[in-house]
Amino acid sequence: MSKETKLSIGLLLVGMLLLAVYWFLPQDVATSNSVMPKKTVEERVILPQYEKSIYQNIPQVQSYLADLKKNIQKGEAVLPLQENELDSDGRKVQNILLKDAEFLKDTKQGSTLLHNDMMRILPAIVSSMDVKTKNICQEHTCYQAEKYNFVTNTTTRAIVNVETSDVLSVEHYAGMQPDISLRLTHIAQAIALHAPEVKKELGFTPRKKDITMANVRGTMKESPCENTTHLCVAPTFTDHRKEQALWAVVDLTELKLAAAKWAGLGKTTTPACISERSLQNRYIMENYCQKDSYLEKNGWKITYRLTGSDGLEIRDVLFHGKKVLTSAKIVDWHVSYQQKGGEKLDTTTETYIEGRRVEFVRGEEGDYLFGYNDAMGCPLFSTSVVLAFNGPQVRALKNNDGFMLTQDFRNPKWPMACNYRYENRFEFYDDGAFRVVGVNKGRGCGDTALYRPVMRIDMDIGTKETFWSMNKGAWQVKPQEFKEKVPNTKPYAYKITSSHAASKGYYIESNHGQFNDKSRGDNARIFVTKFAQKEGDQDLLTLGSCCKLEEEGVERYVDDTVSIKAEDLVVWYVPHVRNDAKEGREYCWADTFIGDDGNVEIKVWPCTVGPKFIPIKGGE
Amino acid sequence: MPKYLPIVMTLIIVGLAAYFVVSKKNEHKKIEKVSVSKEANINTIGTFSKQKTCSVPPQFLKQMKIPQPVIIDLSQKRFKGIALHHGKEFNQTLHPKIWEQYEHFSTYAVDTKGNIYLVPTPFISILPTTFNLQKNLYKLDSNTGKISIFMHFDDVHPSANNPYGLNAIVYDCDDSTLWAAAIDESDYSSQKGVIYHIDLQTKEVLQKIEGFDVLSMVLLKSDKGKFLLVGSARDNGLHAYRIIENKLEDKAVKLLELPHANEHIRKIKIIANNQLELQSIPFSYTLIAQTAKQDRTIHTAIYKKDIENWSVYIQ
Repeated sequence: MSKETKLSIGLLLVGMLLLAVYWFLPQDVATSNSVMPKKTVEERVILPQYEKSIYQNIPQVQSYLADLKKNIQKGEAVLPLQENELDSDGRKVQNILLKDAEFLKDTKQGSTLLHNDMMRILPAIVSSMDVKTKNICQEHTCYQAEKYNFVTNTTTRAIVNVETSDVLSVEHYAGMQPDISLRLTHIAQAIALHAPEVKKELGFTPRKKDITMANVRGTMKESPCENTTHLCVAPTFTDHRKEQALWAVVDLTELKLAAAKWAGLGKTTTPACISERSLQNRYIMENYCQKDSYLEKNGWKITYRLTGSDGLEIRDVLFHGKKVLTSAKIVDWHVSYQQKGGEKLDTTTETYIEGRRVEFVRGEEGDYLFGYNDAMGCPLFSTSVVLAFNGPQVRALKNNDGFMLTQDFRNPKWPMACNYRYENRFEFYDDGAFRVVGVNKGRGCGDTALYRPVMRIDMDIGTKETFWSMNKGAWQVKPQEFKEKVPNTKPYAYKITSSHAASKGYYIESNHGQFNDKSRGDNARIFVTKFAQKEGDQDLLTLGSCCKLEEEGVERYVDDTVSIKAEDLVVWYVPHVRNDAKEGREYCWADTFIGDDGNVEIKVWPCTVGPKFIPIKGGE
Repeated sequence: MPKYLPIVMTLIIVGLAAYFVVSKKNEHKKIEKVSVSKEANINTIGTFSKQKTCSVPPQFLKQMKIPQPVIIDLSQKRFKGIALHHGKEFNQTLHPKIWEQYEHFSTYAVDTKGNIYLVPTPFISILPTTFNLQKNLYKLDSNTGKISIFMHFDDVHPSANNPYGLNAIVYDCDDSTLWAAAIDESDYSSQKGVIYHIDLQTKEVLQKIEGFDVLSMVLLKSDKGKFLLVGSARDNGLHAYRIIENKLEDKAVKLLELPHANEHIRKIKIIANNQLELQSIPFSYTLIAQTAKQDRTIHTAIYKKDIENWSVYIQ
């Protein structure tokens, strides 16, 4: 056998062997070199960290707002399309429609003009016509125009015969949003380009060319915010190399970035409909409800999280390495309303106000009280009724002497009647003081409301604790668990100290309105109990009655035979706040009105309550 | 040259064999792909028509001389439990106090004898009894008008992190059984809802399918068979389970999505040929979180046979 023949046989055997191996290899391994596996992009949500005022200096936004105001001042509700968006027929159609009563029918509320934008004017599309109009437009030049009412979230579409100047049809579509004008497209782009969150996520300052225009148009049409009463669009920054895109959801009703989201490219991962609320819920759940977060600032070290029904909770708080708190939170807001006519009250059947079942309690002098308990917490999988919006935020205090950790809770329909907005806030001062704060922003069901936030503060001074009250100018130890109305003793009615050293601990300063936050005081009740795991260390469900004003719900944990000397103590503090809706005296209240640019504006008169804990200095 | 002929011939043979093997293997792959996409493309439940109900009104209404029609009100807005509205413009209401004893209900099913089966719901505040009440299926007896616990489910565990238990129900006219669903086990990261098929006579659970959070359900018969249509508590989709010989197939397929991501289908009605009415609410496994005059969005979903697809409109 020749050398060549031997080589041929060898080649044949090796070739066949390799082919056999290839045949029996699993498909994905066999093709791994030729077909790269699809990269999975982790979807991530980014919530806005800045107020909407940062966008109002953008030239496009400034000029738009100025035009809106000018237009309203001229007595015109509809902001017309700019010249560069119209051809000569379009200009003619715009002039006709801006004088057409039917087209302008929904642009006023009483005598108040509402913000409307002409969105587009273009040759009429057959699909948007009825048969009669279609017949006319087959023989004449017709244009269609669309305007959008930002206040009522309504689109109006008109068909105009350009040759005869006849308005052939006008239809109003409530709850529908049109394609947006070129001017608004540019504004959306400008907001997205200006947003600090977008710059940070991209890692560079983006330019207009970085926005994927095709996606912008498609997505703009199909990306309403979750709050569907707002007009939202989603300019997109695409990174083809990494096969991912950053979707910036811009709210054109409020002219701000509503949220952003990283997603993969392609049909399977690109969100067909980005919704602000869904993004918020996911972000909040994944970052604050499912895990603890940590904050280190100005010597403070804080663990915090959102709970199922006890709002924002701070835990294991240290100041310069020394223990301060085990836990602090607001477990409930009791809401009650006082009415006259209690003697005629029929409590045999349940009563509902705006869809909420309410509890009735007879009061004094023919009064009666009704209301309910509002739990605040995570937006998904919880027993809360007032839900977390955005995540917890860290902000500087007004006097720059510390910072606050704050969380906003809202009913999505706030400030409509019987919807609520609360803020849980913890203030941390540079001198080691801290304050537990509840803020009510209305609006509730009426102007006779009494709000009672139930604050639970589990102190941790490093040793067992002792509680003191000021009595006739002298500190006296409280021997047993107790409840009482907080006296108007200044500066401090109480202190909590280490059981080993009375000089180590905190004074408790009630709020009498001295904190420069327009508060009218706490008018609080205080309870001090020995720590028990089952008494609120974990999530507390509804605690007590909304409307029995002599009960806060905490009474069940107070046993005046239980000693609280040298124990682990929990302070319960329950402010009583009355709202006010009288003009000029509003308190715990919110209202809406149409502003000078024709848009809805919300005015809030918050009420801020809660005690401050001040470290004891010196050897008292 | 003839010297190298065997080597050349061998290389040609190996090359041809390689081409054959690679193309055969890729053909196999292509077939797999096609079959996968075909499998995934069964969002066509076929054409269907409005079905006649086999349910009859409760008998106690006859005894009380309350004429039909009667509206069953579980809305919670004015009455706890169940209320029946009747008379001219439905301005008269039957709501004995005893119907409040099990707190609030979310939906119902009526059988061929006029018994009304009810599933519970938590509402606004959590009371000490709330979680336990979510574990039961209730029955409003057709003859006596009394509500009682029809079945207790030990495996349903509502909690502070998900206060819901049993939450959807439908009566099956074909075999006088109930289909019910619970979502208590689900949490943010996993969907662990359960669908129960229940024999009404023996109260035996005939089948239990896990892994889907149902918010609403309806039975539908089409030219392609029988289906359980379910609205999802987790997304804005309408899904279908095929029923073969009274058994639910393991996996549901998504038929359509509502236009808004946060809307979840709470009620499904077959209103005409190839046409459904879908009532939706925002749902987030929390208690009712807002008050508004109109708390449901009503959609019409039309199945278009020619393109084998659905169109969804907001009414």
